[in-house]
Amino acid sequence: MSKEMINLCEFVLKTAKEAGADDCGVGISKSRFVEVQYREHKPETVKEATTQGIGIDIYVNSRYSSQSSSDLRKDALKSFVYNVVETAKLLEEDPYRSLPDPKYFEGRKDIDLQILDPEYKKITPELRHSMAKELEESCLEAGGEKAISVTSQVYDSFNEETILSSNGFKGETKSTTCFAYAEMTAQDEGDRRPNGYHYAVNRALNKLPSCKEIGKQTAARTMKLMGGKKLKTETFPIIIENRNVGRILNGFVSAMRGFALQQKRSFLLDKKGEKLGSDVFTLIDDPFIIGGLGSRLYDGDGFATKKRSMVEKGVLKEFYIDWYRSRKLEVEPTTGGTSNLVIPPGKRSVAEIMKDLGRGILINGFLGGNSNSNTGDFSIGITGILFENGEPTQAVAEMNMADNHMEFWKKLAEAANDPWTNSSWRMPSLVFNDVVVAGV
Amino acid sequence: MGSMSRRDFLITSSMAGGAVALTRILPNAWLGTAYAGTTGFFESEFGINDQLCKKALEKALSKGGDFADIYFEHTISNWVSLEDGKVDRAYGDIDLGVGIRTVKGDQTGYGFTQDLTEESILAAAATAATIADSSPSSVTKQFVKLKTENYYPIDKLPSEISLSTKLPLIKKVNEQCFALSDLVIKVNASLHDQQKRIMIATSDGTKAEDLIPRNYLAASVVAEKDGRQERAGWNFGGRRDFSFYTPKVADKLADEVIKRAVILFDAEQPPAGEMPVVLGPGVTGILLHEAIGHGMEADFNRKGISTYATMIGKKVAEPFVNIVDEGITPHQLGSVNVDDEGTPGQKTMLVENGILTSYLHDRISSKFYKVKPTGNGRRESYQHYPIPRMRNTYMLAGEAKPEDVIKSVKKGIYVEDVSNGQVKIGEGDFAFYVSQGKMIEEGKITKPIKDINIMGNGPKMLQNVTMVANDLKLNQGGTGACGKDGQRMPVSFGLPTCLVKSMTVGGVQKQGA
Repeated sequence: MSKEMINLCEFVLKTAKEAGADDCGVGISKSRFVEVQYREHKPETVKEATTQGIGIDIYVNSRYSSQSSSDLRKDALKSFVYNVVETAKLLEEDPYRSLPDPKYFEGRKDIDLQILDPEYKKITPELRHSMAKELEESCLEAGGEKAISVTSQVYDSFNEETILSSNGFKGETKSTTCFAYAEMTAQDEGDRRPNGYHYAVNRALNKLPSCKEIGKQTAARTMKLMGGKKLKTETFPIIIENRNVGRILNGFVSAMRGFALQQKRSFLLDKKGEKLGSDVFTLIDDPFIIGGLGSRLYDGDGFATKKRSMVEKGVLKEFYIDWYRSRKLEVEPTTGGTSNLVIPPGKRSVAEIMKDLGRGILINGFLGGNSNSNTGDFSIGITGILFENGEPTQAVAEMNMADNHMEFWKKLAEAANDPWTNSSWRMPSLVFNDVVVAGV
Repeated sequence: MGSMSRRDFLITSSMAGGAVALTRILPNAWLGTAYAGTTGFFESEFGINDQLCKKALEKALSKGGDFADIYFEHTISNWVSLEDGKVDRAYGDIDLGVGIRTVKGDQTGYGFTQDLTEESILAAAATAATIADSSPSSVTKQFVKLKTENYYPIDKLPSEISLSTKLPLIKKVNEQCFALSDLVIKVNASLHDQQKRIMIATSDGTKAEDLIPRNYLAASVVAEKDGRQERAGWNFGGRRDFSFYTPKVADKLADEVIKRAVILFDAEQPPAGEMPVVLGPGVTGILLHEAIGHGMEADFNRKGISTYATMIGKKVAEPFVNIVDEGITPHQLGSVNVDDEGTPGQKTMLVENGILTSYLHDRISSKFYKVKPTGNGRRESYQHYPIPRMRNTYMLAGEAKPEDVIKSVKKGIYVEDVSNGQVKIGEGDFAFYVSQGKMIEEGKITKPIKDINIMGNGPKMLQNVTMVANDLKLNQGGTGACGKDGQRMPVSFGLPTCLVKSMTVGGVQKQGA
């Protein structure tokens, strides 16, 4: 298949030149996925398909257009490319638009990131069904009489992409993703029916935790939501559970992007080199984690990837700047977006930290909310567990926390020892001091 | 991929950091045909006839099942954008495909393909058929074409509008923004349009076709004062003909966005805690979308997941509260001539005189509840099977005067603009993000506020609606997108000014501090 994709990409590059383009970048992707969902001991949905797409970037007379299509037939592609070139010609000039300088393509590592499961082709329909079934049954068993509804899902996909550019970039990637998920709804007091979920994602099916374990965890997480109540507004120490850290961190990382900086939509403008967080706040972008969900050897511009310290002991070291924004900002490019993002884990478990803190809230979910990238202000709903004397005492719902990123990361007191590996943002649970949590 | 979290969310503007996925688009090979009719497109362009549909449906029901449907889609999307004073980027996307569904009770088999050959279509149908395991079910001998109203007629296909027609409009927004305020330092303006053609054929004999436009003119500005930057965005759009986008609309857009940006320099986050909340008319209807709309989608109730699962026929609000979900208001973003499984667009009362009246049904849930489908079976694309989704959700006007609603509040919040919301279906707990509003003190609107999350519980909030004014306004934007189970759907919403006597306001200080 790859040979065929390369041939098509070369055909597009050649056609683009014929149509009058100065330069062209082209990417073709294909994906095959299967999804099986179970409920009430039988398949609720079975879905399977192959998708394909082509994306073309055209540069002509300092003008730029980017378009995509799902039709890979050669005759259709030819008129598609001519159309993209004609569209680009109608636009205004943008002197900053060009294919990246090829010097940034150099130095690409030659290592196997193990993002392709060699056993992928051995996954059978029977295996998917038995996994989904086991997942549902394990959750139902652990949920017992409280479980009103349980749905389980098993998903796997095989993805391949080929990217070529007229100035010499060539990239090919094959990867797999396997995913097991369950959700449970439980009967609480009155009309409240808490819904909890748990999941695991891995590049390889045999590296997922057992479906039995995922099902048990789903039930346990749902039960922790029972009896959720709003408390009085108070200033607490909080622990944000590992899987939820990304939702808050995103407000900070969004302001690190070249677009936000160049368009003056960032509270981090001119803040490079300043200390914006506590010593615990270190943020590493690591594209080389074996089997990582964000691992890659080249980025969206085709740049050879590098491990980068974005924030070091609270000091902002780098921004995410792609080729185009680097030209507009007149700075060196770094990379346009995150690969695997890591806050180094600490030494203690969440339970140990809770004991030490005595009283506070462990946040296990967020609701709504947003972050203003210009000012750093954010406000977001929370669910969680109040702990007192180091022990969980009360589920918390319908409460809210609000702060500003320029102050919030200074309150970061500790990272737990539990990095969440089911995401490309591999965050441990984080402890923050003195956060206002609003309720009654 | 499968949804990591199946929670539901709604985005109304570009405020939501990174959450708005802009469709990339433009013209292509098929554009040259510019087929103008609303029916016959798939037969004319791709040779899809009744015989092929029937063959595919027979394959889908070859192992049994209650019914099957086949859904063809061809979508062209375009996005032209201005940055730093120049319209210097254009994006486009063309998507073509067909999805085939087999339904047996509440079980669904689904296959799709982007290749419209008979061989590929039958292979997708065979995938769908795997959900059943008995003897073949029958398929209609003849399809009957569904006749529907057209709630979004257009004179010209978006794909026929040249780039040179769009450029001056976008540039006008930019110029007007800079002309209106010296504080403006950056303007982003863009024009998005999409034409989606669908054709549905069902094993029980319905055949429907539709041509669905979607478009909007959007602007986002950054203003600077005393070294501080603030940003605001706004858009006008819906399912409109291009003639809607006049220079006057460009001026109006610039007015709105500048007004919203400049006031932010005086705005603060309000005190935290429980307090009365007055929702101004229009985009604030997001409150209903989260507080009741999702919980009334019948799949959540059929499975016992929703907090509203046992409330039909019960009193949930004061008698002056009436809440509607409909697909029939001309040019609204959530309007549907026909839903994505062949049921005509219609109006559904969720709450009538304070009584919970009807869920929002697709074909599966309507069979379960033994009622007629309500036209809420919607899907993002041929890559998805339909599920119950909202359309245009709003509260009908009441009798109070808006100024009396504000006067009734001693200390509270007046909400003017919201950017996004989310709900937990089972608990009924919801949140929406207020990007702009005002404080209410002693019955009067006072200082501006911004950037707060407001939280509540759906059923409790409905009980707490104590005043409804006579100024219902529907959102006039084209960006409203609701996410559920990994599918994003265009929706609209609206509200008259109304008072909720208590909600949790997520500010930064303790109340009274």
